[in-house]
Amino acid sequence: MLKTFKGGLHVPDNKNTKGCPITDMPSPAKVYIPMQQHIGAPAQPLVAKGDYVKKGQLIGNFENGLSCPIHASVSGTVADIEMRNSYTGYGKTAHIVIENDFTDTLDESIKPYGGDIFSESSEKIIEIVHDAGICGQGGASFPTYAKIQSAIGKATEIIVNCAECEPYITENHRLMLEQPEMIIGGARILMHATGTKHMTIAIENNKMDAAKVMKEKASEFANIEVKILKTKYPQGDERQLMKVIKNVELPAGKLPADVGCVIFNAETCVSVYKAVYCGMPLIDTVLTVDGDAINEPKNLRAPVGTTVSDIIEFCGGAKDNLAKVVSGGPMMGQAQWDTNAVVMKNTSAFLFLSDKTQSNNEGDCIHCGKCVGVCPMHLMPNYLAAFSKKDDKAMAEEFGILSCVECGSCTYICPGNVPIVQYIRTTKGAILAEKRKAAAKTKESEAKK
Amino acid sequence: MNNSKFLTMTASPHVKGPIKTKNIMLDVIIALMLPLIWSVYVFGFRALTITAVSVVSCVLFEYIYRKLMKKSNTISDLSAIVTGILLAFCLPVTVPLWIPIVGAFFAIVIVKQLYGGLGKNVVNPALAARVFLFVAYPSQVSSYNSIDSAKLSPIAMNVDVTAGSTPLAKLKEGQLPESGVTDALIGNIPGCIGEISAALVILGGIFLIARKVISWHIPVTYIATVAIISFIFPAGNISNLDYMLHQLFSGGLMLAAFFMATDYVTSPVTKKGRIIYGIGCGLITVFIRFFGGYPEGVSFAVLIMNLFVWYLDKNTKPKVFGGAKK
Repeated sequence: MLKTFKGGLHVPDNKNTKGCPITDMPSPAKVYIPMQQHIGAPAQPLVAKGDYVKKGQLIGNFENGLSCPIHASVSGTVADIEMRNSYTGYGKTAHIVIENDFTDTLDESIKPYGGDIFSESSEKIIEIVHDAGICGQGGASFPTYAKIQSAIGKATEIIVNCAECEPYITENHRLMLEQPEMIIGGARILMHATGTKHMTIAIENNKMDAAKVMKEKASEFANIEVKILKTKYPQGDERQLMKVIKNVELPAGKLPADVGCVIFNAETCVSVYKAVYCGMPLIDTVLTVDGDAINEPKNLRAPVGTTVSDIIEFCGGAKDNLAKVVSGGPMMGQAQWDTNAVVMKNTSAFLFLSDKTQSNNEGDCIHCGKCVGVCPMHLMPNYLAAFSKKDDKAMAEEFGILSCVECGSCTYICPGNVPIVQYIRTTKGAILAEKRKAAAKTKESEAKK
Repeated sequence: MNNSKFLTMTASPHVKGPIKTKNIMLDVIIALMLPLIWSVYVFGFRALTITAVSVVSCVLFEYIYRKLMKKSNTISDLSAIVTGILLAFCLPVTVPLWIPIVGAFFAIVIVKQLYGGLGKNVVNPALAARVFLFVAYPSQVSSYNSIDSAKLSPIAMNVDVTAGSTPLAKLKEGQLPESGVTDALIGNIPGCIGEISAALVILGGIFLIARKVISWHIPVTYIATVAIISFIFPAGNISNLDYMLHQLFSGGLMLAAFFMATDYVTSPVTKKGRIIYGIGCGLITVFIRFFGGYPEGVSFAVLIMNLFVWYLDKNTKPKVFGGAKK
C-alpha cells in the first residue's frame, strides 16, 4: 500500500487536459507585467514610458532585501506603467505595459552559462538563479535564490514536487511527459547548489505514465529516486510531502531546511535548467486552461503578462455562462476581478467556471465532524469557524487557528455549506495583524529606552 | 468579451463536495424505514399513524416558527423529519394521538429552534421530548400493549390497552422475561414503535456506518460498555449471558446507540471524545437500569452525555500537526 498522511480527502481530480500537449501561445499585442509576482518586496520599474525594451531585458528589480528581478517577456515599447488590480484582489500593483513589436529581439544579456555548472560554487548558481528572476512556480512564489541560501548546510534531501494535487491542473504532468530531462537537469543543478545528497521526485499515482518517464530518466543518475504517492488532497503541500517521504513533521514556524529538506516545484526546476543552459530568465510559464465555461481547454506556455482576455481568445472563446475566473486550482486558487488579470511567473492554471460551479448560500454547521477528519493539520475547523463568527480570537488561537494552511479541505467537505476556511482566514489575518502591531509597539517603547 | 465585465468573486475553494446535510438526513430516514415497516407489521397501522403525526407536526412547527420569526425556511434540510421519526420511535403504539403533537412542539420549538435551529441545540430534540412526555404524561406514555392483543385502531385518538410489561421491567424485578432473546432480536416483544426489533435497528446502523454517515466509535463503545457490565453483574438468578443479551436487545439501547447518541449536533467530533462519550452513555444507562427508579435509562444517559459534548471536544483536541503555532 502506498504511504499517505493522516487527514486530507479525495477530490474528483478532473484532469481533463492531461492528454493536451503544451502549445506555445503566440505572444499577444500587449503584455502587462506586474512588479509583484513573488514573496518579498515589489520590484521597482527600471524603465519608463516610451523606452524600447528587448525580450528578456531586466525591467524591474529591488536590491535591498528579499525580492525577485523581473524581465520583459516580449520586445517592444513601454506604453505605460499602470496601477492595476493585484492578483490577490487586495490593492493595486504597478504593471509595466509593453506594446509588442513582434520582432522577438533578444536582449544581449541572454547567453548560456557555458561552463561546467557542476564544478561551480553555490554562490555562482545562486547568482544565475537570482538574475533569471526565478521564484517558486508551484504557488507561494518564494524567490528560489533565497530558498537555496536557506538550505545550504542544513538540507540533505531535495524533493521535487510533482504531486500536483489540485484538481484540473495538468501542467506538471505534461512537463514530466514532455521535458523530463529539463526537470531532472534543473533539479540536479539545485541539488548541487544546495549540497543535498539525495533527491526524491514525488508523483501522485494518478500520473503513472509520467512516473514511468521520470523513472527512466532518473535511472541514469545515482541518488535520484522516484516516489509514487497516493492521490489525495493536499499531498502537494510541503508538510505532507515531508511527512510521507521522510516521515518528519515540520514543527510550526520552521522551514523545511530545519528538518533537512528543501523542496522545489517541477516547473521551477525547468526554469533553472533554462536559466543555466539557455541563459533565459523566467519570462513565460506553462499553465492549464480548463473549466466548463471555456471552449477549448488546453495546456499552454504563455508569456508573463498575457491577459486572461488574450487566453480566452486563444482558447476558442468563453461560453456565455462564464461567471468566475480562477487563477490556480479550484481548492486554493484566487478568483479574479475581471479578465484583465494576467499570467504571472507562478500561474499554474486559469479555470473558467460557470454559475453551476459556485455556491455561496451558507447553511448551518451540524457538528458532523467531517472537517475534523479531513484537516491535514489536525485542527477542528468547525470550532475555528464558530469562534471566528463570534470574533473570539483568544479561543481561536487556543484551538490552533494559526496553524491553518487554508487548503480548503474543510470547506469542500462541509455538508452545511459553511465557508469555514474563509472565516478562519479572516480571523487569522486579524490575529496576525494584532501581533504585528503589538510587536511594533514593544519595539518602539524599547527604542525609547 | 467585454473587459470591464466584473466576474464573480468568491473565496476558495471553488469546488464543493457532493454530500449536503439533506443527503445525510435522507440516509438516516432510509435507515429507519425497516424498523418502521416491522412495527406496522407487529402493531398494525397505528404505528404508521403515530409516526406520520409526529413527522408532520415536527415539520409544521419548524415551518411555522421560522415563518413567524422571519427566518429562512429550513424544512428542506429534512432534519425535522428525522426528529419526527425518532420521536415516534420512542413512544409506545398505545399513546393518544395528541401526544406526538405535544412532543413535536417540545422537540422542535423549545429544544431546537429556541436555541437557534439546526446545529445549535444542546440536547437531542427527540430524546428531550421523550423525557418530557415521560415525566409529564406518565400514564399515557408508559403503557405497552402486549403484542398478541388485537390490532389497534389506526385513527382513534385514544385506545384501550391490555397492558403488557416490557422485558426490561421484568429484568428490573430480577426475572427473566417470557419472551426469549430471539424474540427481542426479531422484535416479537412489547415496547416502543421503533425499538422492538433490535436486529433491524442494528441493520440500519450498519447501513449508516457503511455510508460513512456515522462512525463506529459511539455505538460500539456504548453497546460494549452495557454488555460488559451487565455480563458481570446479572440480577436475580438469571445467567450472565441471558441477562446481558436481554439488556442489549430488549430495550431502547440499539436505537439510542445507533441513532440518538450519534446525532451529530449533540455528540463529540473527535474520535477520542466519541469513545469517552460512548462509554459514558453506557455507564449511565446501566446505572439507571440497575439502580434507578425506571426500567429504561437510555434517554437520560444520552441526554446527560449531550451536556458533556463541548467539554469532551475541548479536552480531546487532536494534536496539531507540527505542534501549535504561537
